[in-house]
Amino acid sequence: MTLSRFLLRRLVFSVPVVIGVLFFTFALVRIGGQDPVALLAGPTATVQEIELVRRELGLDQPFFVQFAIYAQKVLSFDLGKSWLSNKPVLGELLDRLPVTFELMFWGILLGALVGIPVGLHAAFRVDRAFDQISRFVSLLGFSIPTYWLGLVMLFVFFFLLEWAPPGMGRISLIVTPPPRITGSYLIDGLLTANWEAAHSALSQLVLPVICVAIVASAPIIKQTRAMAIEVLGRDYVRLARAAGLPERAVRGIVWRNALVPVATFIGTEITGLVGTASLIEYVFAWGGMGQYGLHAITSGDFAVVQGYVLFLALFSVLVFVIVDVLGFLLEPRAGGGS
Amino acid sequence: MTLLTVENLHTHFVSRSLDNEIRVARALNGVGFSLERGRILGLVGETGAGKSLTALSIMGLLKPPARIVEGRIDFEGRDLAAMPPDELNRLRGDRLALIVQNPRASLDPLARIGEQLARVHRAHRKADVATAHRRAVEMLAAVGLPDPERRARSWPHELSGGMAQRVLIAMALINEPQLVIADEPTTGLDVTVQAQILDLIQGMVRARGLGAIVITHDLGVVAHYCDDIAVMYAGSIVEQGATRDVLADPRHPYTINLVDSTPERLKIGSGRVFGGAPPNLFALPEGCHYRLRCPRATGACAAPPPWVAGVGGRLTRCHHLEPR
Repeated sequence: MTLSRFLLRRLVFSVPVVIGVLFFTFALVRIGGQDPVALLAGPTATVQEIELVRRELGLDQPFFVQFAIYAQKVLSFDLGKSWLSNKPVLGELLDRLPVTFELMFWGILLGALVGIPVGLHAAFRVDRAFDQISRFVSLLGFSIPTYWLGLVMLFVFFFLLEWAPPGMGRISLIVTPPPRITGSYLIDGLLTANWEAAHSALSQLVLPVICVAIVASAPIIKQTRAMAIEVLGRDYVRLARAAGLPERAVRGIVWRNALVPVATFIGTEITGLVGTASLIEYVFAWGGMGQYGLHAITSGDFAVVQGYVLFLALFSVLVFVIVDVLGFLLEPRAGGGS
Repeated sequence: MTLLTVENLHTHFVSRSLDNEIRVARALNGVGFSLERGRILGLVGETGAGKSLTALSIMGLLKPPARIVEGRIDFEGRDLAAMPPDELNRLRGDRLALIVQNPRASLDPLARIGEQLARVHRAHRKADVATAHRRAVEMLAAVGLPDPERRARSWPHELSGGMAQRVLIAMALINEPQLVIADEPTTGLDVTVQAQILDLIQGMVRARGLGAIVITHDLGVVAHYCDDIAVMYAGSIVEQGATRDVLADPRHPYTINLVDSTPERLKIGSGRVFGGAPPNLFALPEGCHYRLRCPRATGACAAPPPWVAGVGGRLTRCHHLEPR
């Protein structure tokens, strides 16, 4: 099977998932209990006025008719308007998507670049000092509340040591942001040779990225270690030793074989980390999609919540497709082969 | 010419129990045999008798808590039991090679066949990638795989069990070892394929003048393919000699029992089979380890049994035999 065929199949199989997601987010908000009409019409509205608004919004229609209208709108890229800002939800989310993506990308990359080697190293010396320490550290990473970690890091590195800038957004207030190309201030600053902006964006990135990395790396360490230990016990590793391959080559075989399941694991982890990242965004006033979504939830901004959940779900579907393609490329048994 | 001499090999598993007592499982108790170039030795015995452990001890592949506590393994004039691990690792896959069971699980699923063979070649020889690949294809042809060029590009999951076992044999022989140990090389293969694989191993050993040890449960395999046989029980060899002599006229009570328990003999109805559980390696009986199951056991068996010589260099370890 070629890659393009595999990709096509995989995308076709994603369609029912997307439809399910669409229905679920729609239903979730509907059964939320709050009546949006009453909220929108305001406290002084009469019963007739409320009914009028309800009819205008189409909320007097049966549930499935409402869903059909919603689905049709979504398919024409209309996610409705935010009741707070009165702007189209899609635009608001798209503006913030690269902002969140930037934070997640660097955080998970750093978490994987630290977590995978640490996990492998621990697996090669089970129960020795390094392994014990890494197990303890990863346990800490599991149990520390994210927002608390962010606050403590700000307290230590901004307030006490003054090494980092305050957690007030993505670029210093006195620096003019670069023109928008990708939406990432760091990359846009570099592209436009605006070194001042790039530097400011980079220093703003450091603490939140480390926060995401710490949260991301704990399970990566644990998973990599477990996978590598399992692979170490496989027959082909024993035969590699029996064939007198040098230890370095044996470890090469181990880590390549542990990589595929670890990559899959990181994919599933990413989707969970989106929620974690929204808390980190809040602490550092990052202004990304997560913070926007959280705010919408607490203020009952239905259209935004719906759009946000839909975005997260589509993002998860996309991540799983990417993970499967990676697995296809790395794993000869899936038909690809490196 | 003698290739390998194992003398008085003791391998123990030393561990601690929950109440911190040191527990010793005496898995090998003074194994000794020698192997000539160009000959095939069959190592037989029930599960847990120490056949595979003998192979692992020779190859230096024991993992803690198992370790050699006593004995010599003389191979080409050097003592493998006393060799530093790095040095022994350089001999493995080069001068001595292992062929294992589960051939399909023993190949790295993420590397092409040719690449895996070349990897073993390059670990021991200064060869560039192209030369190593040519050598790999040569070996695949030598073990009788059709279209070796194409096979070298195959992935392990594309091979049948029999093909994978041929690949393992090619891998074992790629650096022209002097000693080959095959640990149940045909377990899990179809009967027809079993015969092909054993023919192949035998042919390779004869053609190249190697020494080989074949570990098996199957006395039929020993009868057809092995020049010599060593029968193991509870970590010791109880009888050894030329295959023909030993199988035609087993002298040790355990060997007699083993030969009588083959399906063919059971069908004829000859002999009686004495069952019994394998001995507890943590608490082996004093003297002859077989005496708790032995129909001929007497008070004398509480002392270590002597080696009794037989015809044609046969040796049997029992109190109740007269030298012939």
